[in-house]
Amino acid sequence: MSYLKIENLVKTYNKTEVVKKLSLEIKKGELMSFLGPSGCGKTTTLNMIAGFLDVDGGKIEVDNESVQHLPPNKREMGMVFQNYALFPHMTVFDNVAYGLKLRKVTKVEIKRRVQEVLEMVRLSGFEKRYPKELSGGQQQRVSLARALVIKPKVLLLDEPLSNLDAKLRQQMREEIVEIQKELGITTIFVTHDQEEALAISDRIAVMFEGRIEQVDTPADIYNHPETDFVSQFIGEVNRVRGKVLEVYENNKCKLFFYGSEQIVSIHSKQNSEIDFFIRPEKIQILTSPSNKGDEIKTIVERKMFLGPKTRYFLKIEDNHIVADISNTMINPNDIHQGSNVFAIWKPEDLLPSRKGR
Amino acid sequence: MKKKRLPSFVLNFSCLLIYVFLLAPIIVVLLSSLTTTEYIVFPPEGLTFRWYAELLEHPEFIHSLLLSILVAFLTAIIATAIGTLASLAIVRYEFKGKEAIVQLVGSPLLIPSVVFGVALLQFYSWIGLAASPLALVIGHIILTVPFVVRLVVASLVGFDRSIEQAALNLGAGPFKVFLQITLPIIKSGIIAGAIFAFITSFDDLTVALFIVSTDVVTLPVRIYTYMQYQYDPIITSISSIMILFTIVLMIIIERVLGVGKIFSSKNQ
Ligand SMILES: Nc1ncnc2c1ncn2[C@@H]1O[C@H](COP(=O)(O)OP(=O)(O)OP(=O)(O)O)[C@@H](O)[C@H]1O
Ligand SMILES: [Mg+2]
Repeated sequence: MSYLKIENLVKTYNKTEVVKKLSLEIKKGELMSFLGPSGCGKTTTLNMIAGFLDVDGGKIEVDNESVQHLPPNKREMGMVFQNYALFPHMTVFDNVAYGLKLRKVTKVEIKRRVQEVLEMVRLSGFEKRYPKELSGGQQQRVSLARALVIKPKVLLLDEPLSNLDAKLRQQMREEIVEIQKELGITTIFVTHDQEEALAISDRIAVMFEGRIEQVDTPADIYNHPETDFVSQFIGEVNRVRGKVLEVYENNKCKLFFYGSEQIVSIHSKQNSEIDFFIRPEKIQILTSPSNKGDEIKTIVERKMFLGPKTRYFLKIEDNHIVADISNTMINPNDIHQGSNVFAIWKPEDLLPSRKGR
Repeated sequence: MKKKRLPSFVLNFSCLLIYVFLLAPIIVVLLSSLTTTEYIVFPPEGLTFRWYAELLEHPEFIHSLLLSILVAFLTAIIATAIGTLASLAIVRYEFKGKEAIVQLVGSPLLIPSVVFGVALLQFYSWIGLAASPLALVIGHIILTVPFVVRLVVASLVGFDRSIEQAALNLGAGPFKVFLQITLPIIKSGIIAGAIFAFITSFDDLTVALFIVSTDVVTLPVRIYTYMQYQYDPIITSISSIMILFTIVLMIIIERVLGVGKIFSSKNQ
């Protein structure tokens, strides 16, 4: 079923493991993102898959054939580099045609395929230009075309958009997904931009310190993070602490949060303290207390207008949290700095921390 | 405080002065080779190509010119090959004794060439290598490799190796990558190195003086020894030929390889 299979991959530099027994399976035609902070081993892993780095342990299989012993020029993988890595002494046409020439494709066929792929990346008419005569976005498109034209088994993209400005990034990433889906090409997309990963991926592998923390669809990564690292790395979170007042059957507990009580689905012991993460947009604000007793009294420390929503900085006892409220729900002019307001959240939106439980 | 810019004619004028200073000796030599007098004089008196015709009476000058060209040519090719490979090793690999090799390669630039000539003479007589074009070529290679290394290293530093990875990734073997990607990109550094090597060898006098024998005499040595006994315009006519040869060579290289910015500091 899986097309690209990585098993217990290890890379060691000067006795420090920078990739630690990494395993991952990617389905044919899938767009998988590697997402993680700087230095977590994304590029290292990608370079091992492409063959630029020797593996210090583990296996890489493509279509059930192990490739980790093949040199990079025998792996049939298409790579797009962060800095484009175009051949400066060749025209756009020759850059794109390079892989085909090596494969001894006929001249007529080369011409046809180069034109086809240049059309796909919307660069028809640029054949005779040299890389230095192109903008960053255009260079990136040439680089993509050059990798795609050889019909690689796997497309590897290492932070392909990080040198482009925000607007162009967004436009390019949509183009990349469109082409990727059209060709049905198995793709790994390295990024440290979580919004980018959430927007384009079929699945995301969140990496941290040489390990994969979680592999899931963007929605599951966001809504059901499995580790503290994923909770904190993806999106923004507040940390709140609750104390278990009562333990019920079927894994439910009554918890005490800063003067309010809530029933939460969690397995725990009486009197233990549990940390939870909750996202700013999952917190609601009330200007007067509800009658259910689940609201928490807070003081508005500061507010920040963000266009469609407003971010409120709230103080709960000695804890600080932020809440993002849509301006159509609450008019920001109704809430002032120093006002007393009430925060509420749904128990199911609490993401329990794995630590200190 | 506002910085005042110098008017541009000051810049232009100082450039002109520098050019005049650099080119004046060459022009003096070229013009005085046309004199009708029996002795060298500037400005030339009258105009004649007689001294160029006279050269034909002195076939030893022509022989020496050909020898110099041969030696310079071989030196340039071999020194460029060695220097380029050494540069690749120095820039791209970490190995034991690397620092020592870097210093060693650069050392001929620090040693006065007279000292180097004496050393070479001693060494050759010790290993029993007689004066020959080969002996000259070896000496000149040692002399010129540092220039090649300097220039090629400069073009390799800042070379983005992901460009080579991209070629590998597209299916080119390491040798193809070197020939089709690396070499064309560092071409200007290599050619500049080769030109430097050629010219350094072509006009070397000091080192050659120690190696030549009666039948192996390079042109600079020939001119130098001739001048010790005679001082007629044959000297200036053969010198002019040397200058013109160098200029023609540069023009050919420029035309054939189409590298307008060989000596510019920036690559590509
Ligand atoms: N040649 C090397 N020698 C020693 N350590 C290295 C080498 N290359 C990478 N590392 C280390 O390996 C770790 C992973 O590096 P890698 O380049 O894979 O990170 P990354 O996830 O791609 O980060 P970024 O998002 O900044 O590109 C880093 O801690 C880095 O310092
Ligand atoms: Mg990286």
